[in-house]
Amino acid sequence: MLALGLRLFRRMGLPERLLAILLLVVLVEIIANAVLFERANSFELRRDDAERIAENLVLASRAVAQAPPDSRAQVAAALGTKRFSLKWLPPTNRNRGSLGLANLRAQIIEIEPDLALADLELHLEELPGKGNIGGSLQLPDRSVLKFHTHANAAWKLTAGRVVSLVFPTLLLVALAWVLLRATLKPLRAVIGATRHLGSGPPRPVPEGGPDELRQLIRALNDMQERIHQSLVERTQTMLAIGHDLKTPLARMRLRLDEGEVESEIREGISRDIEEMRLLIESIQAYVDNGGEAIPAERIDIAVMAETLVDTAADRGADATYEGASSVVVCARPVAIRRALSNLIENAIHYGGNARVSVRRDGDGAEIVIEDDGPGIAEERIADALQPFVRLDTARSRDTAGMGLGLPIVQKAVRMENGTLDLRNRPEGGLRATIRLPLETK
Amino acid sequence: MTIAPRLKSSDNMTLAAPTILLVEDDGALRTLTARALRQNGFNVLTAATGAEMWVSLRTSVVHLIILDIMLPGASGFDLFRRLRRESNIPIIFISARGSEEDRVLGLELGADDYVAKPFSTRELAARVSAVLRRGGFEGAAEGIADGHVPEVLCFDGWQVSLTRRELRAPSGAIVDLTGAEFDLLSTFLSHPQRVLGRERLMELSRSRIGDSSDRSIDVLVSRLRRKLQASGSEPPIVTVRGVGYMFRVEVSRA
Repeated sequence: MLALGLRLFRRMGLPERLLAILLLVVLVEIIANAVLFERANSFELRRDDAERIAENLVLASRAVAQAPPDSRAQVAAALGTKRFSLKWLPPTNRNRGSLGLANLRAQIIEIEPDLALADLELHLEELPGKGNIGGSLQLPDRSVLKFHTHANAAWKLTAGRVVSLVFPTLLLVALAWVLLRATLKPLRAVIGATRHLGSGPPRPVPEGGPDELRQLIRALNDMQERIHQSLVERTQTMLAIGHDLKTPLARMRLRLDEGEVESEIREGISRDIEEMRLLIESIQAYVDNGGEAIPAERIDIAVMAETLVDTAADRGADATYEGASSVVVCARPVAIRRALSNLIENAIHYGGNARVSVRRDGDGAEIVIEDDGPGIAEERIADALQPFVRLDTARSRDTAGMGLGLPIVQKAVRMENGTLDLRNRPEGGLRATIRLPLETK
Repeated sequence: MTIAPRLKSSDNMTLAAPTILLVEDDGALRTLTARALRQNGFNVLTAATGAEMWVSLRTSVVHLIILDIMLPGASGFDLFRRLRRESNIPIIFISARGSEEDRVLGLELGADDYVAKPFSTRELAARVSAVLRRGGFEGAAEGIADGHVPEVLCFDGWQVSLTRRELRAPSGAIVDLTGAEFDLLSTFLSHPQRVLGRERLMELSRSRIGDSSDRSIDVLVSRLRRKLQASGSEPPIVTVRGVGYMFRVEVSRA
């Protein structure tokens, strides 16, 4: 039976599930109330308690009825005791408590039949304050006398009342929790998948959960496929453009080499060709996913950094290396070399100098590249990692590149499960920190 | 800096210029490249397609093939595989793709070098010379090369791949070298256990791929020594006071 219910539940859509939960809660509430109602109606007090209430009521009603109307309120209040409070009200519609105490009423009327004529009404107080049993009766002139009293045996009913209020709520919370968890499980997979959307090959999310969620997952999987397809096309297009431009560039270079050209012009054109080559190569490096097909290898990252620094220093740049002489990591050498080179070149270009250090840090390698330049405005650091964003728009023409330098670094480092951190140094200048796992494979 | 290449393998060609077969589909680039190579003292045959290449190979003696990876019809890689099945002619890939995968794949297949477009006349000529030299130009008398391409050299647990221009530590880790450092190391490796003067070292290293920096030999040697020492062993390069340097350990082919 339970299994059948669960199977049915699983086949339901999201609104059906919620509706089922709601119905279940309402059902529980009704049952709980019915039970309580039954118990309240059959509730009886010990004989002496009932007698006390009956007597008090008869006496009070007579005393109040005989008092002049304008002093009835005071009389009623004065007649009340701590355990039996009274209140007089001018003729009104009485609102009766929801939980009638039929048996108790019968018990009291049996003791004092007069009270039946006064339309005695008894109920269980919803919130025990002045007493847990309340009631009212009508005086001959249709004014109302209300009372509250404590009866020791009634607390069980009060507790039942509270439980009947709280239990469905608890049940609702518990069921909602179970339902939401069950519903959110595939949703969490969807969230995970959207995070990876567009990076790497599509990872289809297994379909599960209510119908709506299945549709969402199916749509997401289709979207993944489309995004992947369009990324592949973008890559192909960019690579094709790069490829097609390189042949004419090669022709230009050879023509320049053999032609009779003034050395000044030759140098100028040579530089232009070189710049175009670098642009094309940075696009190729950024879009080329082929890097993933190249296996990671053990590389000495310290020697690599030092070699790049030496190369820059040989060219006349202010670049220094300090740190370990050998730190071996597992990474794709070409991509990581390009990443380090981009950071060092950036430091030299924008900061004027590059200070590079490599050290072993726990189970990782830490490569730090610092400069003494102006740094990057805090709010633009995130932008710097976006492809095709150039921060130096104002004086952009004198810097080569397409705003792919840092994105290429980011991509290469991520591919090795490493991290790239860019921040301004308190002393001024920029500090780029790459952390790579030590050779774990 | 062009060295008139000598070929050891073909007796009647010893003093003649080596013949290079250029396979490139772009007409203008083919003409320009051929002219540039001729100016550097090579005989050049050209082919626009794989089919033309096979015709040339049947009718002439070719010492080196320059092969564009992207050709109409068959890809350069396919042509390469078929070529390798039939002969040992040194092959240099040229490619506009410049993607690392191509480079690695090309060298892995056993290409002797890989030149990315756009290249300068000087760069191409230097690469061609270097490959021809490795293929036997320096001869047994001068070094270990004796007609076959020595792909990988070993010393003291270290490995040097001449085609990939790559040095690996005994741990297997790739150890980067600058171009000049690699040229210097190659020179040492082809003259092991012999004292080399600074001048001679400079001359030999410069004649390799080329763009060696102006760094003094002493700086280059000390850098190289430091890198070769990183794993904690004795440096294989020793200073011979007043004369120069010597690579003191034995070099073998892998």
